[in-house]
Amino acid sequence: MAELLEVRGVTAGYGNGPSILNATSVTVRPGQIQCIIGPNGAGKSTLLKAICGVLPLREGAVMLEGERIDGLRPDQILRKGICFVPQERALFGRMTVRENLRMGGYIIDDKAEIERRIDDVLVRFPILAERAGQLAATLSGGQQQMLTMARTMIVRPRIVMLDEPSLGLAPKIVEQVYEIIQMLREEGITIVLVEQNALIGLRNADWGVVLDLGKTLFEGPAGEILADPRIQELYLGRKSKAA
Amino acid sequence: MTEQASGSGEIDKVVAARREMNRRLARSRREGRSWGFAIGFLVILALLPLLQFTGNANYVLHMALYTFMYIAMTSAWNIVGGYTGYISLGHNVFFGIGGYFSGMILAGAGVSTIITAPAAGLVAAACGVLVGLITLRVRGPSFIISSIALLMIMRIVFDNWDYVGGSNGLTVPLTSLDVRWAKIPYFYAFLAIAVLTVVASYKIKHSKFGLGLRAVSQDEVKAESAGIDTQTYKVMAFAISAFFVGMCGAVWGEYLTYIRPNIFLIILVAANMVLMAIIGGKGTVTGPIVGTILIVAFNEYMVYEFGASAINILGTGVVMLVTLMFFPHGIVGTLAKKGRLPRFLDWD
Amino acid sequence: MTNAIQVLILGILLGGVYALMASGLTLIFGVMRIVNLAHPIMVIWGAFVAYWLFRLYGLDPLLAMPLAAAFMFGVGIVLYKLVYAKEAASAKYSEMTVLLTFAVALVLDGAASTAFSNTQRVTSPPYATDAFIIGPIYIPTAQLYAGAVSIVLIGALVAFLQFTRMGYAIRATTQNRTAAGLLGVNVAFVSLITFAIGSALAGASGALVSFVFSFFPSKHWEWIAVLMSLVVLGGMGKLVGTVVGAFVLSIIAAFVGTYAGATWSTITFFLALFVILLVRPQGLFGDPIESE
Repeated sequence: MAELLEVRGVTAGYGNGPSILNATSVTVRPGQIQCIIGPNGAGKSTLLKAICGVLPLREGAVMLEGERIDGLRPDQILRKGICFVPQERALFGRMTVRENLRMGGYIIDDKAEIERRIDDVLVRFPILAERAGQLAATLSGGQQQMLTMARTMIVRPRIVMLDEPSLGLAPKIVEQVYEIIQMLREEGITIVLVEQNALIGLRNADWGVVLDLGKTLFEGPAGEILADPRIQELYLGRKSKAA
Repeated sequence: MTEQASGSGEIDKVVAARREMNRRLARSRREGRSWGFAIGFLVILALLPLLQFTGNANYVLHMALYTFMYIAMTSAWNIVGGYTGYISLGHNVFFGIGGYFSGMILAGAGVSTIITAPAAGLVAAACGVLVGLITLRVRGPSFIISSIALLMIMRIVFDNWDYVGGSNGLTVPLTSLDVRWAKIPYFYAFLAIAVLTVVASYKIKHSKFGLGLRAVSQDEVKAESAGIDTQTYKVMAFAISAFFVGMCGAVWGEYLTYIRPNIFLIILVAANMVLMAIIGGKGTVTGPIVGTILIVAFNEYMVYEFGASAINILGTGVVMLVTLMFFPHGIVGTLAKKGRLPRFLDWD
Repeated sequence: MTNAIQVLILGILLGGVYALMASGLTLIFGVMRIVNLAHPIMVIWGAFVAYWLFRLYGLDPLLAMPLAAAFMFGVGIVLYKLVYAKEAASAKYSEMTVLLTFAVALVLDGAASTAFSNTQRVTSPPYATDAFIIGPIYIPTAQLYAGAVSIVLIGALVAFLQFTRMGYAIRATTQNRTAAGLLGVNVAFVSLITFAIGSALAGASGALVSFVFSFFPSKHWEWIAVLMSLVVLGGMGKLVGTVVGAFVLSIIAAFVGTYAGATWSTITFFLALFVILLVRPQGLFGDPIESE
């Protein structure tokens, strides 16, 4: 399988502060759900922000199908097909659900096409369809997350990157969120997600990456990562009995 | 599948690496303060008037007491603007309140403002509480705007209020001392006020109160949820700051012998306070001192070269612009960040 | 009674002028979260452009208005690139940025004072001393033209924001800068354009004001407090609020000025500010105070 997205030796940090990512390398293969886990401050969110152009790189490169995309602006990277869903949900609270979805199609010129895609998305998300005229700020946390993810479907990206999709949500809602992630994958979208809740993240993923101290320490099929005793002790909080 | 070699020694390696990274990121502290320097410096300052015996040192004394005054005012501003993070661009309302309060007493009852200064300070502080209760309820930009509006209101009111002399202001009698000794009481008065203010600033910074203020300046919502009564803290900081600025106003009024809105209540006074704090290092103890000395020297140079014209305003603006763009932490702040702060300036 | 109607009309016309002045300020705050304390001095610069074009070439200030706007548009671009581009990238309100604008205000004030001296000036096209007399109502022509043109310009601004793609981008960026950026809006460019448009609005209102009031460089300190009060009153970043607030307060100030004396009319704006801070700190149309 050829790589879709490749992060090569990237070093990055915030402002004049220390480097959070240190020559980190990550590969993403098409059609997969890849989950990145690791402790606080490891650089998981930083990695996503570096990929989508929000954070400038200090060293290294990001390649999309062999083409360099580092240094591009976030809106340019979006046009290349990479969509980023940040932790803070990034909705327009004073716009309606429908208007938020419309904003999701900002880079599409054909207005009629945007409306068609909105209708399409609302069919798949009946909960949002019911509230299409409601202000986004009045939705519950889970519904807001649903809206944010549904919004990515308008622009039909190749990769969707999610920063802690389960954050602050009740377990039942988290299940729904991961069902939507599966739905996105069925549309042919490659998913990269960052999770602090390593258990649920890895359980729902195909490939797992462990990021710590700004580097990729371990990598492999998600199931194997989950079962690895070292990972369990370091990141899943279980003392391993085996040597 | 990329994986490292297996074994539990590996887990220890990761943990050790994490500990090392945390240690690197932690900030270091210096031990011991240079009390010797501070006391020595004060002694020299206190003996400065002796120069008057060797010749006419009136210019030196004037510049010195003017600098002391601004050191006090800038340090006081720093308590609200630096420690608490609320930028007041109209802080000289308290300068005006103190000036007029003591000025009226001097004009009416002949009591020197040096004696009434503490009372003037308290009056200013009381006004600070009243104003603060209203304006400190809003954050950031709205607060700054309200501080300017307050100054404008006071200016317009005092310009039109005959009881305080309107736009002609008050004139108070000149001191009866011989011209050789005339400046000396004010010299010591401002020196004392400056020392008081800086000591108060130091004490606040190193107290629980100061820690709370710092929390407010970083993230007020989180400070509140940590149990800090942010409203009380802010108002108290504002009142304390107003107290010292008020005292300065009181003494300056007598020294100048006239108290007018277009001297006490112009925005350039506040702008200078802010600029001195920023160029020295907002939020530090010695920053205001360093900044004041620099800006006073700079202003003197500008007047000497160009006369008291609009070029002053231009120059002040350019200095502020350059400082904010390239040295936002000021001299003391930037040196501290690079770990190069000399001991005699490190009182934080 | 006729006196009251006259004062009302004058208040409305003045409101239009202040609304135009403040609209650029609100726009800039909405997109960049910058309180542009240098806005009023840019208004004065616009006034100077109109003044000199009239003095040197006899150009009517109403015709000079688009030129003043274009000039300030350019000044805005230069200022943005030199001073604000770095700060604007951080997307969060910062006191330092306000101080930056304050420093810029000092620089622009000093430059104007040095170049043109701090004397009072006013542009005096022939109609400046005329008045329209409709029955018992007496409306100075200058006020009428300035107010009317201001109101038209505000309408144009609202239309721009509502119906153009850039306007859509500006509104989205004002509501949620991060989200807008993630959805394909080039927020850096939107910030630049907004700052330039805001500056152009300042320049335009300056040209209009140049034949209504007499002006001099230091007058901007007076206007800072007035304009800022309008912005806070309306709810930071809300154009509708600023415009409504401008009209309401100008009408009140006009009455205060007529019956209590001109000096007290300016205080109206400041007192209103304090009342709003007491009663409804988020302004008329603003969102409840949240952490920035």
